[in-house]
Amino acid sequence: MAPDPSEAVEIPVGAPAAAAAPAGPERVATPRPRRRVRLGFIGSLGAALLALLIGAAVLAPWITPYDPEATTGAPLEPPSRRHPLGTNDIGQDILSELIFGVRISLSIGFFAAAVAITIGTLVGLLAGYFGRWVDTVLMRLVDVVLVLPFLPLVILLAAYLGPSFWNIILVIGLLVWARPARVIRSQVLLLRSLDYVDAARALGVSTGRILRRHVLPGVLSLSLAQFILAASNAILIEASLSFLGLGDPTAKSWGSMLYYAQVRSAFLSGAWPWWVLPPGMMITAAVLGFTFTGFALEGILYPRLRR
Amino acid sequence: MVRFLAGKGGQYALVLLVAVTLNFLLPRLMPGSPLVFLAGEDAGFLADDQRAALIRAFGLDQPLWRQYLRYLGGLVRGDFGFSFARGRPIAEIILDRLPWTLLLVGVSLLFATLAGVAWGTLAAWRRGSRADIGSLGIAMFFESTPSFWLAMIFIAVFAAGLGWFPIFGARTAALALSGWAAARDIATHAALPIATLTLVTIPGMFLIMRYSMLAVLGEQYIATARAKGVTERRVMFGHAMRNALLPVFTVFMLNLGYVVSGATVVETVFSYPGVGRLLFEAVLARDYPVMQATFFILAVTVITANVAADLLYPLIDPRVRRGP
Repeated sequence: MAPDPSEAVEIPVGAPAAAAAPAGPERVATPRPRRRVRLGFIGSLGAALLALLIGAAVLAPWITPYDPEATTGAPLEPPSRRHPLGTNDIGQDILSELIFGVRISLSIGFFAAAVAITIGTLVGLLAGYFGRWVDTVLMRLVDVVLVLPFLPLVILLAAYLGPSFWNIILVIGLLVWARPARVIRSQVLLLRSLDYVDAARALGVSTGRILRRHVLPGVLSLSLAQFILAASNAILIEASLSFLGLGDPTAKSWGSMLYYAQVRSAFLSGAWPWWVLPPGMMITAAVLGFTFTGFALEGILYPRLRR
Repeated sequence: MVRFLAGKGGQYALVLLVAVTLNFLLPRLMPGSPLVFLAGEDAGFLADDQRAALIRAFGLDQPLWRQYLRYLGGLVRGDFGFSFARGRPIAEIILDRLPWTLLLVGVSLLFATLAGVAWGTLAAWRRGSRADIGSLGIAMFFESTPSFWLAMIFIAVFAAGLGWFPIFGARTAALALSGWAAARDIATHAALPIATLTLVTIPGMFLIMRYSMLAVLGEQYIATARAKGVTERRVMFGHAMRNALLPVFTVFMLNLGYVVSGATVVETVFSYPGVGRLLFEAVLARDYPVMQATFFILAVTVITANVAADLLYPLIDPRVRRGP
């Protein structure tokens, strides 16, 4: 359970090189082409992972060998030609469960991130543009959300609201917005001081219009990068919630597969290599896919943030 | 300095207030009877007069602000309420559990920081090298790995498979051990949970230390030190690392919240009798007062650590003492 993968992502990779070699006519910046390529490699690896997962989610009914809900074999069958990844404790095909699980993870990641980024962008816009007390109040709020012990709070809210698909999305979305809000605010601070925003203000353009037409477009691509990072975060949280039995009870997610494996003491049976390993690998792959993509995207769009 | 601490103090008081208020409002504003949330599911099946008595006992017939004051008063006196599911005052239950969580969190945070700092320093020193990029990849991988999954693998391999460690619990209940034997027993029980927590905490420390080092290495005084002919080793450890450690200290304390979150899941997998496991048990038993108390106590733990960090920081970094 990573705190949030986004933490990793805010960590600059390329920055110090750029800082150490200021661009200037008389100074020849030492080129570091190899590193640039490596970063691109990370990004494309992430995008490839994502493409693979989205493909699997869309095609799930056609590429799964069995109905994941149906008992199609003996309990805890080891991997065989009939069941490439074996079966679970009630004879369901694990490969089919895994492939259908992509749908849950990706959709919860997507919707929760959408909620979080909507709030985060709004808060970042308002705090950054209006400054003064609006900024103070909103950033205080951000700090509060960041300091509270995250997972216990998610668990508490999920327990009260009751486990359902949309409740989980709501809970995660309502708690993940703080970091994006902070990043977007810093970008708005930059944009606000630009000449064309000043010009619009001088022309008497209304504040709402300035925000919508002149500031918002400047942060949208950053919001996209933050969206992807929030999604990776959300997937990990959803997995933890499902693992604790607080996930959507009607859905088969990777977290709930591990929940059942844990409850039925999978580690005591010899079945754990095909019962426990694959779901965790899928979670890691999905989170990494988003993290890598968001990381690369952020670096490309906003090298300045890498400070 | 005083203003710095006052500002920080206000911030933490605010966090605490938000946590407390959330705890107060959740059972009262959620759909369903607050009585069920406060006294347990059975309260739904009581006779009318019994229910009325309970409502009065909990003060649910009073205006919300008065209930709030009463709630705050209880917390100040260390009264977390009563767990009907367990038939014990919640404060007692928490006190039983807290030391175990502090043990796991404290030790793994220490290990993770030592490892993360060393690893990050070396990676930054050789930035752009194959080892550095590889380290980044590994760190991001482990940061993306669910801790409960790692814990399950550890149990399967090292406890159930190889039999090196016990599978669950914090001590062997059947044996009344004392002295070194007891310490050994506790250590073998804590080893795997601590290993899991350490492993998932290292990446964050690594990434921050690496970044902090890279920032410091760009400073003029590093170039000066080199120009003076200071050995590379001394530049790395004496000049760069010492300064790079400052932000890491802050992160160390902030990470506590993260490790506490991780402990919730890891304790659950290992059936380790800490506060995190208590939260999970309370969720299973629909024991809402206990859920709230665990959340509150974890929030207090994190805030305490933050306050400690702010008080210690001026000792470590004299620049803060002088103030702006």
